[in-house]
Amino acid sequence: MARAVMETFGNASSVHGFGQQARAAIDRARREVAALIGAKQNEIVFTSGGTEANNLAIRGLCEASSAQGRHVITSAIEHPSVTGVCNELEKRGWEITRLPVYANGIVRIEDVAHALRPDTVLITVMLANNEIGTIQPISEIGSLVREQRAAGQKHLWLHTDAVQTAGRLSLNVDELGCDLLTTSAHKLYAPKGIGALYVRRGVRLHGQNVGGHQELDRPATTENVPGIIAFGEAAKLAREELKERSHHDSALRDRFEARVREKISDVVMNGDREHRLGHLSNISFRFIEGEGLLINLDLEGVAVSTGSACSSGTLEPSPVIRALGVDDELARGSIRFSFGKDNSEADVDYAVEVLARAVERLRLLSPLNRQDLQDFAGCTG
Amino acid sequence: MPYSSKFKDHLAHPRNAGELPDANAIADEKNPVCGDRLRLSLIVKNDRIEAVRYLAYGCPPTLVCGSVLTELIDGKSIAEVTNLTRADLVNAVGGLPSRKHHAAALAIETLHAALASLS
Repeated sequence: MARAVMETFGNASSVHGFGQQARAAIDRARREVAALIGAKQNEIVFTSGGTEANNLAIRGLCEASSAQGRHVITSAIEHPSVTGVCNELEKRGWEITRLPVYANGIVRIEDVAHALRPDTVLITVMLANNEIGTIQPISEIGSLVREQRAAGQKHLWLHTDAVQTAGRLSLNVDELGCDLLTTSAHKLYAPKGIGALYVRRGVRLHGQNVGGHQELDRPATTENVPGIIAFGEAAKLAREELKERSHHDSALRDRFEARVREKISDVVMNGDREHRLGHLSNISFRFIEGEGLLINLDLEGVAVSTGSACSSGTLEPSPVIRALGVDDELARGSIRFSFGKDNSEADVDYAVEVLARAVERLRLLSPLNRQDLQDFAGCTG
Repeated sequence: MPYSSKFKDHLAHPRNAGELPDANAIADEKNPVCGDRLRLSLIVKNDRIEAVRYLAYGCPPTLVCGSVLTELIDGKSIAEVTNLTRADLVNAVGGLPSRKHHAAALAIETLHAALASLS
């Protein structure tokens, strides 16, 4: 990455030698990102991240297809960069169908089929959820889309947000049957601020920026050459090491969950137990709120995340956990734990030890934990 | 703004956690918008707070404001604690982001409610 910054400083749009050197480096990276998802090199558009790619995919496609229809199907557990665009389209007169996910956190194919209309132009459903890791039936939805096209609905397209999935599962855009697919570099251990959108040949997108011509007029902004080079290298390593990394991550995740169940009572593991990514674990801890737990863990060097957010006295429990049909207390007490290639079994054991202490401390403090009130009355810190 | 070292210390080591079975002033207040909750029990004798315990559920500032509040009022006279303000508590925890000031407001409201319940 540092070498890329020093040695590839030309603007890839310039015709001089430095520029062409940068252009060649971008093309190499594009081949690697394409290979990671089974796409062709010229179907990859680099963006500033997953959010820009999702915006470009959904808004770009809808704006280019508005003459054919103004209906979009999505799910209740999409990333905010997808729900945000859908909400904005809705304000502009588009109709949005948000599919439920049920207690296991997975969309049902029959609901997708039921929601389809003659004026549906886009189905956008994530490949795997970013909070609970549940894997959605994208290849089945892709088959449905192909059947609809064969029956005459030529303007129906499928987008999937694969930010959490790329580098974790073996992906092939043809097997998935998707027309647009979002990825992001930092999920592959590359720097933040770079992403990519796969755009199947023949799919028309309305560009979101004007005044530039980079990336075939889609992002239309000067390329982040060092970021793209790093993305390409990370994609290559992710493809080569996919099996090894997946096995490593899921073994750590399983060890973690087994130890949590052993040491902590009143926990709820969120999302389907089978159809999920191997590196994520989402757990709700009864009687306590997630942010307090998050900061307690952070103080001891364990970084986790929560989908709930409290600001200005307004609490928004995680929409993903709420979509599973659980109560507010569980939605507020949910924490996402992620495991990666640089974590070890010792890290997992330390995290469980710290977690058990923090949960116990917060439960002693919680007025919701009524049954224990008499036990700790009079206890001081 | 980052949380102060005092804030972190109270979060990791809450002071005066629990309930007082023989309390003569108790309040259990809830922020109806976000669901944060604070329960305060006091033993007040001769217009002085002789013992205080608290329980809390909610975001870290709510947990910490409860803990710091108990230290501020323990052993003080009613006259001394009646005039405590939200700003006093925010200062005492080492500052809070403005979007988290509601936690200090809940703590002060709970204190006032407990004093009002004094039997």
